[in-house]
Amino acid sequence: MPDTGGGRSYAWWHETVIAVLLVIVLQFAGWLVPGFLKLQSQLLLSRQLWEFAILALGMTLIIITGGIDLSVGSTMGLSAVVFGGVHSSSGSLMAASLACLATGLCCGAVNGALVSRLRLHPLIVTLATFAAYRGIAEGWSQGHSYSRFGDAFSDLARGSWLGVPLPGAIFVLMATGFAVFLSKTPYGRFLYAIGHNERAAKFSGISVNRIRFWLYTTSGLLAGLASLIYVARFDTAQADVGKGFELDVITAVVLGGTSIYGGRGTIPGTMLGLLLIHETRLLVSRYWGSDELRSIVIGCLLIVAVLACQLVSRKRRS
Amino acid sequence: MNAAPALIQIRGVSKSYDGVHALSDVSLDLTPAEIHAVCGENGAGKSTLIKILSGIVQPDVGHITVNGRSLNIGDVHASEAAGIAVMYQESTAFPHLNAVENLFVGREITRCGGLFLNHAAMKSQTERLLQKLGVSVNLSAPAGDLPLAQRQMVALARALSWDCRLLIMDEPTASLSNRETQTLLRIVRQLRASGVTVLYVSHRLDEIFQIADRVTVLRDGRKVSTHRITAVDRHQLIRHMVGRSVEESQRSPAGTADNSPVILDVKQLTRRGVFSDISFQVREGEILGLAGLVGAGRSEIARAIFGIDEFDEGEIRVAGRPLKGGSVQDAMTSGIGMVPEDRQHEGLILPMSVGENISLAMLRSLTRWGIVRRQAERELTETQMSDLSVKAANPGIAAATLSGGNQQKLVLGKWLARNPKVLILDEPTRGVDVGAKSQVHQLIRKLAAKGLATLVISSDLPELLSLCDRLLVVRSGRIVGELQGATATQEAVLALALPDAAESRLPEAPR
Amino acid sequence: MSNSQTLTVDHDSRPVCFSTRFFRLIRQREAGLLLLISLTSVVVGIHDVRFFSVDVWRDILVRCAPTAIVACGVMLVVVTGEIDISVGSLMALLAAVMGRMLSEQEFDISCWIGIPVTLGLGTLIGVFTGSLVSMGRVPSIIVTLGLLTALRGLTTLMMGGKNIDRLPEGLTQVAKQGFLGVPISILAAAGVIGLTSVLIHHIPLGRRLYALGSSAESARMAGLSEVRLKLFAFGYTGFLTALATIVDVPRLPKIESGIGSEFELLVVTCVVVGGVAISGGQGRLIGVLLAVVLMTMIRPALTFMDIGEAGEKWTRAIQGMFILLAVVSDSLFSWRQRHSGKVHAA
Repeated sequence: MPDTGGGRSYAWWHETVIAVLLVIVLQFAGWLVPGFLKLQSQLLLSRQLWEFAILALGMTLIIITGGIDLSVGSTMGLSAVVFGGVHSSSGSLMAASLACLATGLCCGAVNGALVSRLRLHPLIVTLATFAAYRGIAEGWSQGHSYSRFGDAFSDLARGSWLGVPLPGAIFVLMATGFAVFLSKTPYGRFLYAIGHNERAAKFSGISVNRIRFWLYTTSGLLAGLASLIYVARFDTAQADVGKGFELDVITAVVLGGTSIYGGRGTIPGTMLGLLLIHETRLLVSRYWGSDELRSIVIGCLLIVAVLACQLVSRKRRS
Repeated sequence: MNAAPALIQIRGVSKSYDGVHALSDVSLDLTPAEIHAVCGENGAGKSTLIKILSGIVQPDVGHITVNGRSLNIGDVHASEAAGIAVMYQESTAFPHLNAVENLFVGREITRCGGLFLNHAAMKSQTERLLQKLGVSVNLSAPAGDLPLAQRQMVALARALSWDCRLLIMDEPTASLSNRETQTLLRIVRQLRASGVTVLYVSHRLDEIFQIADRVTVLRDGRKVSTHRITAVDRHQLIRHMVGRSVEESQRSPAGTADNSPVILDVKQLTRRGVFSDISFQVREGEILGLAGLVGAGRSEIARAIFGIDEFDEGEIRVAGRPLKGGSVQDAMTSGIGMVPEDRQHEGLILPMSVGENISLAMLRSLTRWGIVRRQAERELTETQMSDLSVKAANPGIAAATLSGGNQQKLVLGKWLARNPKVLILDEPTRGVDVGAKSQVHQLIRKLAAKGLATLVISSDLPELLSLCDRLLVVRSGRIVGELQGATATQEAVLALALPDAAESRLPEAPR
Repeated sequence: MSNSQTLTVDHDSRPVCFSTRFFRLIRQREAGLLLLISLTSVVVGIHDVRFFSVDVWRDILVRCAPTAIVACGVMLVVVTGEIDISVGSLMALLAAVMGRMLSEQEFDISCWIGIPVTLGLGTLIGVFTGSLVSMGRVPSIIVTLGLLTALRGLTTLMMGGKNIDRLPEGLTQVAKQGFLGVPISILAAAGVIGLTSVLIHHIPLGRRLYALGSSAESARMAGLSEVRLKLFAFGYTGFLTALATIVDVPRLPKIESGIGSEFELLVVTCVVVGGVAISGGQGRLIGVLLAVVLMTMIRPALTFMDIGEAGEKWTRAIQGMFILLAVVSDSLFSWRQRHSGKVHAA
């Protein structure tokens, strides 16, 4: 689908490698764990996936431009605390949700402004806000955790729509939007251009700074949304919401074929990466019942997948 | 073949990448204390030859002997030990390190049994070398902060910092001004006098005729010929390089009518500390040249007009409409296009396809409901490719795979697709081979004939003189003179452009 | 650039060089960091003069030590143009390995074997990381991200859900009391800092790391081995992580599996705040060390501010603010400079 235009067919081999791996994992899982592949159980177990998946959309776009956003987990924490605070003082779910999203948006906008206006390296900026947002969340909440938001709210995470979990439906809609944006619109093409060569992009009249700013802002907004779903799922809002998410999200995006140097990557690839991680986790924890093994497998998977792709591409070149 | 015994014998060297011959069966003898020039179009195999001699690249077949002893090819240290030194085109080796470190990276002078660096010895040796070259360089500043010419001298000093018998110079003057070039050539002659053999690779034929003893021409990876420099003339050399006879740029008939409308009107443009009080007009169909030394502020003026840099004072109008400063988008909607100085880093996005590069600057106007119309994009690319005769297998291949000349046509195509009113060309033919160069020149003239207002910046004076209707000379960020018709000669331009020569004679810059 | 036309070969270019040197001097990150450290100390000291006691600063330095030790290694990795974000998990793994080997409840192996084995394992894992980066050509952020996850899992697996305690008495005593009254971790840190400083300034290898980071292409042309240099940088980091584990962990009452979590980001933060360019080739040790002190002193400083428990929770917020302050001031300065036309446009 996302032929990046101009007549070149996109090199899909990375995505193919991941898809093949995914099929192998699923085959194994179906064989080792009876009933693993049933749609119902898959949908039921997909609940843990959606927050990651939503964050991964924004992260894919950012990494394609050669940037990175380490602050998404902390933004989730801060948004969650704001949500809890506003809810406990006003009692209004609507106000709390809006405040939560607005917090995410602002956090992202701060990142965006620092990256695009002051031309700071995104890794440095988001490393700083990674500490700052989480710190503000911790300082403000003072370890307090808010809960009891009511059933209506938890339906946001637990309800379903046409048999699909509600957050899943939200994700699919957004993923489609992002995929079309990336592969079909001029701005999608501009992201690749920026990732490959920012200077030439500027010389082609692409407003690199504005695009950067909006990317990080979008990523912040998505973190706000992910935080909302997370809070609804667990019915608790506290400062450590989303801890460690940033690295998991980056893992999924990179596994999905997005180059950490920028310039290549697709939304379908990211979805494959997410699925691969998700299914591997499920398999490992259902079959071996061990959480530790899960992270070992994911870590090795990431290294091996990227290494394999490097070797394949080197072989293709020579 | 020669009376003198060869210092270095290259025998039957071949190298191919991905099945394409970069170098095939090249044999060459270099005698002691000669300046041996190598020329050829881009892709002729010059850089591969250099890389093989320096040990970075391992050839597929062939062998090299130095003073009769066989060289272990493909080993940088073996080449160094044999006395082969290279001064690369990319003049800054390590931009963050200072001059001393730049000189000695990889072969530091040590003490205490090779454990510790001997800073004092390295520093004094650096000073001695630079003194020999007649330059003074700030030794503690990072090399990347030094002026271009000094960086070049540091690179040369690095090459000379051990007893070299063969010095390879790859386009050493590509980014030097005329005067700096002369200094460099003088140093090269001194080196020859002290017994060093120099392999001099250059596009600039003038230089080759000035200093070389012999010249070898490469074409498509093969050696075409080796001549004594006195036995060939310019036309023969070009014919050997291209394989056919090419007409070098002819002097164009000067002058567009003075009554054609002004398209680009720049008034008192100033960017503090960079350039000041720049005023000029370009009329419809006119080709205006900006001459001056590298660093005089020519490119900076162009960048400000195109909105890459902001400016502090002044006004730019395109066909009467004033521009917002510092906005490329605004410059583009007003009808300005710019072919930047650095094709590889500013002009093109090399990993993206030919088609994507052509359509990049006007993608937004090829959409329906925000979605790029694939068909329209394809038509646009194909039109541009055939109009400019870009040689590429299909629009889908990466721009990086094209030759320099074709890449430059691609950048031109990208802007011509927008139908600009004003086209700024910064060094339009740098690193472009002779054949493509004349094609680019013809294209520029054709466009001007159709009414395009063109601003050309070039360090290649003959090119400017033959191409432009009018020349402005820039020095120290100011316009110091305007030359037209018969008054425009190389000597006149240089007299204006050089700082010391002109300071007393031109008290006031003409508007 | 106004005077650049005079910069021909035979001319000295003193004006340009002078101005860049001048600007570099006041731009130096170290000055800003020193200012922040002294401001913080003064503010806290005015509030409670006990902050200036030897014990407090000894405590701060002890807290700094492991970060400083590992930062010396990570700095070299960043100088070569790579990054290492796996040190936190590596520290946890090494702590677990060391703990299980030495603990009286577990294998109870002699320290004389256990400590060298820990050091060796750390170096080995570092070299392995380096080989994936340099020979496998996998981007270092991805390799170390993968290791971050995998090693953490391995640690939890090794600990089997229990904490490790009862390290040999001798080891904990040395760690707590130190040698001649100086805590052992401070001694180790001083040694590592000295070693790294000599390496950077006086040994060819150190300069070559900078050369590689400055331009990989030129380094190759100068005959430097990218593989060997990167193996060294990562191996050194692994070794130092092991060293930090050995001197720091025995101070703790017990070893938990969560040990060293987010340590990697703290170290990377210190390295970049200390002025090491993320793109490689640039950076000074002194800046990194000042950044380590700044980042570490915040928590102890807050306990002196009489705001009780509440204060400590703001530690990370203040850390984040300081990081931003350090990098933003830098960029604001160069922005002003750019707009006053002092930076050459070429």
